Amino acid sequence: MTKDKNKTLLRMKVNGKPLEVMVNPTWTLLRVLREELRLTGTKKGCEQGDCGLCTVILDGKAVNACLVLALQAESKEIETIEGLGKEDNLHPLQKSFIENGAVQCGFCTPGILMSAEALLRKNPKPSVDEIRIGISGNLCRCTGYSKIIKAINAVTKK
Amino acid sequence: MQSYEFYTAESVEDCLGYLFEKKEVCQVIAGGTDLIPGLRNESIRPTFVLNILEIESMRGVIENDDEIRIGPTTTFTEMIESEILNRTLPLLVEAAKYVGGPQIRNRGTIGGNIATASPAADVLPAVLALDGVLEIQSKQAGSRFLTLAKAIEAPYKIRLQPDEIITGILINKLPPGTRCGYEKLGRRNAMARARMNMSMVIHLDEKGTISDLRIVPGAVLPVAQRFQEAEKILLGKKPDPQLLETAAEALAEKILKITGIRWSTEYKLPVIKSIFKWVFNRLVFKN
Repeated sequence: MTKDKNKTLLRMKVNGKPLEVMVNPTWTLLRVLREELRLTGTKKGCEQGDCGLCTVILDGKAVNACLVLALQAESKEIETIEGLGKEDNLHPLQKSFIENGAVQCGFCTPGILMSAEALLRKNPKPSVDEIRIGISGNLCRCTGYSKIIKAINAVTKK
Repeated sequence: MQSYEFYTAESVEDCLGYLFEKKEVCQVIAGGTDLIPGLRNESIRPTFVLNILEIESMRGVIENDDEIRIGPTTTFTEMIESEILNRTLPLLVEAAKYVGGPQIRNRGTIGGNIATASPAADVLPAVLALDGVLEIQSKQAGSRFLTLAKAIEAPYKIRLQPDEIITGILINKLPPGTRCGYEKLGRRNAMARARMNMSMVIHLDEKGTISDLRIVPGAVLPVAQRFQEAEKILLGKKPDPQLLETAAEALAEKILKITGIRWSTEYKLPVIKSIFKWVFNRLVFKN
C-alpha cells in the first residue's frame, strides 16, 4: 500500500467508475464521499446509524455510509444518489416521488431513494409491509411516510 | 484526535498473527455498527484497528450432522436469508429480524453482537437460549471452546484474551418438535434498542410434559442469562396456568434480586412477566 504521511490509498468503484483516493484510516466512507469526492447528495445526519440519511448501496446492499470505515470499502462497489438518475433522466423512483408529492424538505430523500432502490432490486414486487420494513432504517420528519410508501408502491405497479 | 493504523486480515492465520503482535492496543472491527460511533466520540482509542470482514472462512452458515456452525462475520441479513437457519434454528432468524433497520442488518454481525455483549443485544440472548458455544482461537493456544453463558463476564465485556478472536458460533440442532419463540419490546419498531426481549426454547414430550425449557429475558439484567429458577418450576410438569404464574413470579423475583428497585421496576416487572407468559402460551398452545 502507498503511504503518504497518515494516508492510505483506497481503491473502489463509485457509481460504476473505478477511482483511487488517499484517505486517513479514521475516516468513514461518508466523509470520503462528501468531502473528498464531493458527492454531497449523500447527507450527513446523526452519524451513528439511526437516521439513514447517509444510505448508500455497497456491493448491492443498503448501508449507512457513516458506519463504514473508508478502508473497509477497499475494492467494493458503492452506489450513491448521484448514480441513481440524472437531472434530465430521472430514475423511475425519483419521478414517482415527485408525482406522488413524497418530498417535503427533501433532506431524507436521497437516503430513502437508495433504501428503496436496494429493496426493489432484491424484491421487485414488495408488499406495503415489505416497503415499510425496507425503509424502516430511514427517518423522515416531514411526510409521515405515507406518501413515500405510496410513491415506492406506485413504481412497483408500473 | 483519533489516530490508528488500519489493517485488513486476509485469513484467520493472518488475523491471529496480527492480534498476537498488537494485543491490547488492537481493536477488531467487523460490521462496525457499534464500534464506529465509539471511535467517533473517542470513547475507544485503539492504536491499531483490525478489519476481519474480508476473511472468507469467518462468514456463513454451515450445517453438520447435529450442529450448526455460524461464522462470526455472518451479517443479520445473511442469517435472516439463510435456508439452514430458517429450517433448523428459526429462533435466531426471528431475533436477527429485530436488529436495527435494514442498513444495520446488512452490516452488523452475529460475532459483533456477542463480542460487544451489550445488555440490550437482540441476538445474544437467543444464542444463550440455544446453549451456543464459542470457538475461540489464538496464535499461541490454538482453539478452545467456551459456552456463551460462561463467556459473558460483565456488561460490554466477554472473556477473551487480547490475542484471541471468536472464529465460530456452534449450536446443537434441536430435537424434532422443539418450539422456539422470540419477542421484543422497543420504544418504536425499527431501530429501537430493546427495552426488553424474551427468547424461549421449549420441548413437550409425547405425554405433554415439559421436557426441555430455556428462558432468557434480554435487556432486563446487566448480563443476559438463562433463568433456571423459573425453568425448574415448569420442567417435568404439564403446562398449567397456576404453575406458569409461579414461574413468572420467580422470574420477577430474580430480576428484583439482581437489579434492586429502580425507577423502571414498577413498569418492567409486570411487563416482563406478561411477555414471558405470552411467549410461553403461544409456543405451547399455538397448534
